[in-house]
Amino acid sequence: MDYKALIANRRSYAMDWKARTGGKVLGYFDPYFPEELAYAAGMLPVRMMAEREPDTLSAKWIYSSCYPVKAFTNQFLLGRFDYMDALVHVEGCNWMYNAFEVAMNHDPALLTHFLFVPEHTDAPTSRDVLRSELNVFKGKLEEWTGKAVSVEALDYAIEVYNTNRKLLRKLYELRRFYHTPILGSEAMGVMLANQLMDKAEMNLLLADYIRELEAREPAGDRVRLMLLGSETWSTDLEEMVESLGANIVIDDLDNGASYCWNEIIPLEDRLMAIALRYLGRPHSALRDNNWRRRPQRIFELSEDFMIDGVLIAKQIYCHPHGLDNYAIWKLLRERGIPFHYFERDLSLPAEETKLRLKAFLHTIKPGLTRLMGWHQPLNLEV
Amino acid sequence: MAQEYGQWPESCWTSADIDWRAAKKITAGIDIGTASSQAAILCDGALFGYANLRTGANYRQAADKAIQMALGNSGMAVQDIGAIMQTGWGGNHVACATGETDELTCHAKGARFLFGPSLHTVVDLGAQTTKAILLYDWDRVRDFMINDKCATGMGRNVEFLCDLLQIPIEEIGEKSLEVPEDPEPVSTTCYTFADTETLGLFGRPEYRSEALTEAEIYASHLFAIAWRILGLIGRLQAPEVGDIRITGDLGFTGGLAKNPGVTKRIERELGVTALTAAYDPMLAGAIGAALLAGEGGESHGL
Repeated sequence: MDYKALIANRRSYAMDWKARTGGKVLGYFDPYFPEELAYAAGMLPVRMMAEREPDTLSAKWIYSSCYPVKAFTNQFLLGRFDYMDALVHVEGCNWMYNAFEVAMNHDPALLTHFLFVPEHTDAPTSRDVLRSELNVFKGKLEEWTGKAVSVEALDYAIEVYNTNRKLLRKLYELRRFYHTPILGSEAMGVMLANQLMDKAEMNLLLADYIRELEAREPAGDRVRLMLLGSETWSTDLEEMVESLGANIVIDDLDNGASYCWNEIIPLEDRLMAIALRYLGRPHSALRDNNWRRRPQRIFELSEDFMIDGVLIAKQIYCHPHGLDNYAIWKLLRERGIPFHYFERDLSLPAEETKLRLKAFLHTIKPGLTRLMGWHQPLNLEV
Repeated sequence: MAQEYGQWPESCWTSADIDWRAAKKITAGIDIGTASSQAAILCDGALFGYANLRTGANYRQAADKAIQMALGNSGMAVQDIGAIMQTGWGGNHVACATGETDELTCHAKGARFLFGPSLHTVVDLGAQTTKAILLYDWDRVRDFMINDKCATGMGRNVEFLCDLLQIPIEEIGEKSLEVPEDPEPVSTTCYTFADTETLGLFGRPEYRSEALTEAEIYASHLFAIAWRILGLIGRLQAPEVGDIRITGDLGFTGGLAKNPGVTKRIERELGVTALTAAYDPMLAGAIGAALLAGEGGESHGL
């Protein structure tokens, strides 16, 4: 699968999709956005991706936020998201809410909605609250599209999304093999491309891709790493890790493994079924501040995927993940799992990050230099 | 030419006591940093020669000069060295190197050489980066932190500041300790802001409620640097919030290790006394690289 082309051509894909289907494109960011509902309404939910380019506009609107939010704002004001007809913000990241407000103010024609998702996902009333919110959102979608969201359409959307999650999890299953046929950069690239496409179309590509991977010769020995931290919008870190002889085999990112880890369990009440799926997804740092349930999942994944170490790459100024650190570091230290924490923005300084990675890999595996060929002097002669 | 207050003296030394022709194993390490470069030559594990000089604008030239200075008039040639490990920011540019590795691993190993076996925590106070390294009971890296914010240049900043304030770099640390109590630190976020703020402290006293002495101004700046380094050590070490502890003995490497205005403040805050290096603490990376070169050109002994 040429995931790089899919990511690079996301605008033309969305425009083409609109021309083919006559549907509307809906942009979202938050991991708790119920895509199935928008898909059932005939819209194409597309995850917004922060892209690094000179920021000429955001500073007038937003001051002192994380780089992705600045980038979203800048990209929006530059018209990079002009293919989006609607924008939905889900209660969660306040800085993203600022970007959402800027978008609303800047483009009054944009269809917008604010969706509340309870912060305490396990509270006794959360399911009813979210179901009620989904019902309001369904009404809004019907208003935007001018047609009712039928039960049949909901069932179809649920089926398509559940299939999509099954296929994505298959990629993770392949990564569990000690000699896995798939590199972390490929897997993350597919995850990113997946969140930009019509899932019915993506499922066909994914099925072919998995068949191709199953026939592929497994890679040789590589240090197995887990990636934690903020969401990512590129595969540059994974590629750098691979250039040093290691491989990211599992993650706990909101737009990585957590995106596909649980499915919708069918219920007579479809909205409740969707609500329960999102409340039951692996906990996001956004909604785990008071409960600290993420470390346990991280430990389970570390054992399941037989990792040698953990990389924690946090976006600078990402408070939810910053607050998470203490509990995660504590767990990793107590369990003797090597880890390295660093902060980045949308860029990834090559030399500095390589230094970190090399030193970290040294702490994990004595003798790794032989595996990586670091002892080979570089030929700098021109 | 105006005096360059931020320039520190270059140095080199070659042993007159070791007969290198009788040595079974000769290895070298070359550490090319952003501001300073070092070379170290070991004969059967003993230090035979070293050089410590300013890097300048050409990494490759700095490396060549460093190894030649370390060889001195011993009669040894580069070709006589069995393995040469390169490391550091410019550690891909050494033409004569037979291997390359990361500087954290080198600093860990070199610091053990310099400080002895009781060393467990190394704080490398470099020109561009500061690294806090926790060791196992031997010389392998257990955990480490590198500063990742703006104002990475602690050492470079002090060079710059000394030029700005016109005080020799060898003196600013001691002078800053002449204060009965440290004043509030200047900006701990960004060294450009810190420099501006420090200059501002020299401003007209009527604009401030209380005039600061020169020593207090130096203290304010160096305390800010120590403050930032303490945060890094805290991230590495602290099992509980607010609890910064040092495991085992502490040793400082890098150029700022020679600045008591920074090191004494860190020691004071941590409640420890750092070990004293057997040689120039700036040599840790090069010595570690030379030791690694002796292990077959790879670091699998770590």
